[in-house]
Amino acid sequence: MKILIIEDEARIAKRLARMTRAYFEQQLELTVCDTLSRGLAYIEQSAIDVLLLDLNLNGENGFEVLEAMVARPFHTIIVSAYSDKAITAFSYGVLDFVPKPFDEARLFQAFGRLISKNTLPDSPLEYLAVRKGGMIKMIEAGQLSYIKGSGIYSELHLQGGKRELHDKSLDMLEQLLPPNGFVRIHRSYIVSLLQAEKLVIEAGGRYSIQLKSGELLPVGRSRYKELRGKMI
Amino acid sequence: MQKWWILLLLITLASCRHDIRYEASDVILSRPDTVFTARVAIDLLEKKFSSPLGLQVHSFGAFMVYWDGFKVGQNGIPSTPGRPEVAGTETSYYQIPDKLSGLGKHEVVIRGTQIHLLEVERSVMAKPESYLKLLRQPLIELSLVNLMAGAFLIAAIYYTFLYYNSKYKQRTTLLFAVICFLFFALLALEYLKYYIDIPYTQFYTRLIVVGWLTFAIAVLIPLYFTIHFNLPYKLLFIGVLLVALLCIYIVNYDHYDLTARLYSLTLWIASVLILLYALVKKQRGSILVLAGFAASMVINQYMFYDFGLYIAFTIILLCILYLQTLAAKQLEEAHQASQLLSSRLQLELIKKNIQPHFLRNTLTSLMDWVEESPAQGVRFIQALSLEFDIMNEIAERSLIPIRQEIELCRHHLSVMQFRKEITYVWEDRGIQDDELIPPAIIHTMLENGITHSVPSDEGSVRFLLAFSRTGLHKQYIFEAFAENQERSGHQGGNGFRYIEARLKESYGDRWDLSSEPFAGGWRNIIRIDL
Repeated sequence: MKILIIEDEARIAKRLARMTRAYFEQQLELTVCDTLSRGLAYIEQSAIDVLLLDLNLNGENGFEVLEAMVARPFHTIIVSAYSDKAITAFSYGVLDFVPKPFDEARLFQAFGRLISKNTLPDSPLEYLAVRKGGMIKMIEAGQLSYIKGSGIYSELHLQGGKRELHDKSLDMLEQLLPPNGFVRIHRSYIVSLLQAEKLVIEAGGRYSIQLKSGELLPVGRSRYKELRGKMI
Repeated sequence: MQKWWILLLLITLASCRHDIRYEASDVILSRPDTVFTARVAIDLLEKKFSSPLGLQVHSFGAFMVYWDGFKVGQNGIPSTPGRPEVAGTETSYYQIPDKLSGLGKHEVVIRGTQIHLLEVERSVMAKPESYLKLLRQPLIELSLVNLMAGAFLIAAIYYTFLYYNSKYKQRTTLLFAVICFLFFALLALEYLKYYIDIPYTQFYTRLIVVGWLTFAIAVLIPLYFTIHFNLPYKLLFIGVLLVALLCIYIVNYDHYDLTARLYSLTLWIASVLILLYALVKKQRGSILVLAGFAASMVINQYMFYDFGLYIAFTIILLCILYLQTLAAKQLEEAHQASQLLSSRLQLELIKKNIQPHFLRNTLTSLMDWVEESPAQGVRFIQALSLEFDIMNEIAERSLIPIRQEIELCRHHLSVMQFRKEITYVWEDRGIQDDELIPPAIIHTMLENGITHSVPSDEGSVRFLLAFSRTGLHKQYIFEAFAENQERSGHQGGNGFRYIEARLKESYGDRWDLSSEPFAGGWRNIIRIDL
């Protein structure tokens, strides 16, 4: 697990580092940056899995930085004093928001979300940030029809047929998307329940789901039961 | 309301003025030397009153008045050999016996002496009128004039007191008081003739004083407008006005009534020009005052009553009174705004310690110290509480001793030292203990310095506060010696707005603030003019 901590207060950075080491024990590659600019420079050069980010969300560019981070192929956990901004941060698609001051249990809970699936976040994701030609584009979650996994990327299929590429993997997006609105139907597909029309059983016992747009998507055998339960 | 009734009464009076019809011949005046005789033939055509007939005579000198050869009275005592003349007044009134006041032809003879002012060649005039009306007319005029004069005397006194007892010494307030007083004096002097007998030898003295009073008012009213509406080139404008008025004075020397009217016209034109400027600039009150000036012109043109001019003046002064209250309202609003600013700044100061960025980061560090090294944690809590103590002490003040500010900064540094684990060094130089400073402005600069400074190689950040004072100003230089980290965003901006607002609160516009990097760090300079 490659983790980057961006925190300008030495004492808090040390605390985060100590607790992170305690949680992940041996399989950890930890880097600490004491300024945002150094941290951003590090991200450009090295791949990471999780970012622990102290962000001044009251500042003018706090959310700009946040948008840029959530578009990346890693999970972002915000560790911030501005706890009143938690809901907005969640809507942008952070894995968790740890308000300061925090103890070990709270930080461990955030790390827990990396592993366990279907842990409901405090508030739902509302936007997916997509990097496109050096710009960040915010896509409303309600616009999604389905998502198709494509290696380390995901294809966001929007209503009306538009497509966008997201840097995060399908597994990572599944962790962020609200489970009551989106369902993993297949190794390679997540579908928006609002866009699902009906379940189809094809010849040979293969399951599919038909979307309101008419598209047919395959449903994994093991996921059929769960899906049927959610659609009724 | 009362005033409107009086206006109505005036109009009625003006309309029913002629209750006698007569034809009068030209005055036949023989004045070989100081002795003179004037004869006027009067043909009474109609009398609409049954009360006694009266005669109004305008003439210089001391004389007897005869009606159809019957002596009806005398004005002053004409000189006789060995006895000097006792001067009469310019206007005098006589009652005609009933038996001599029937319709038809009559002759008025005025005989006496005029020792002084012969060079003026003042004409002689005799007018028959209802005697009752002759007596009553001054009373009616005075009732209105006194009403106006009294109001303006009170206004003059009130605005003088207001000026001396007001925190904001507004020049316009004093100016208005002076204008009101001059106007009161003008009215009083103009109608002084009804109260005392002015010898004809002093007849022009009153007119000269009235002239100069009008002159002064004609300068001061436009001056008031230039100040109130903040006209550019005030001095130039007033200079031109003065030259114009002086020209009128010189060209029409000795024509007292004409001069006064021309002064008023100049006043009107100058004021209207300023008001048009104010109207273009959309200044508050300009339309109303302009309307007042239009009304005053109409009244002055169409009311041929003696005091039409004074009613016009009164309207103008009422307009200025309105502007005065507008200005007072603006002051009140400004005062409220400044109070609001002060309480907002107080709130901002209190918020400094409870804003999430400070409080939650501090608590997080504190948690860590308590968990990892409880003894240090306790010292941290003490440092924090000392900073809170001082914040609490200064929260409601707008100026605090500089030493207290320095204490606050030192405690803040020890708190931040626990949080950042950076060695912070504080130094100050040339501090004068009795100096006052708005609270937490150095503290705010220190916060910015901590946020944006990366320790140089020795691993420490040094802050230096230096005070100096010259004859013209005092100056605080606050420097952070460290590597600068890029400064962008909100935090610094907010802090500087606080500092600027605090400086404005205590020093108005007499300060200057600069904040920029230098080779070894960052330098802030606060300069306060003395």
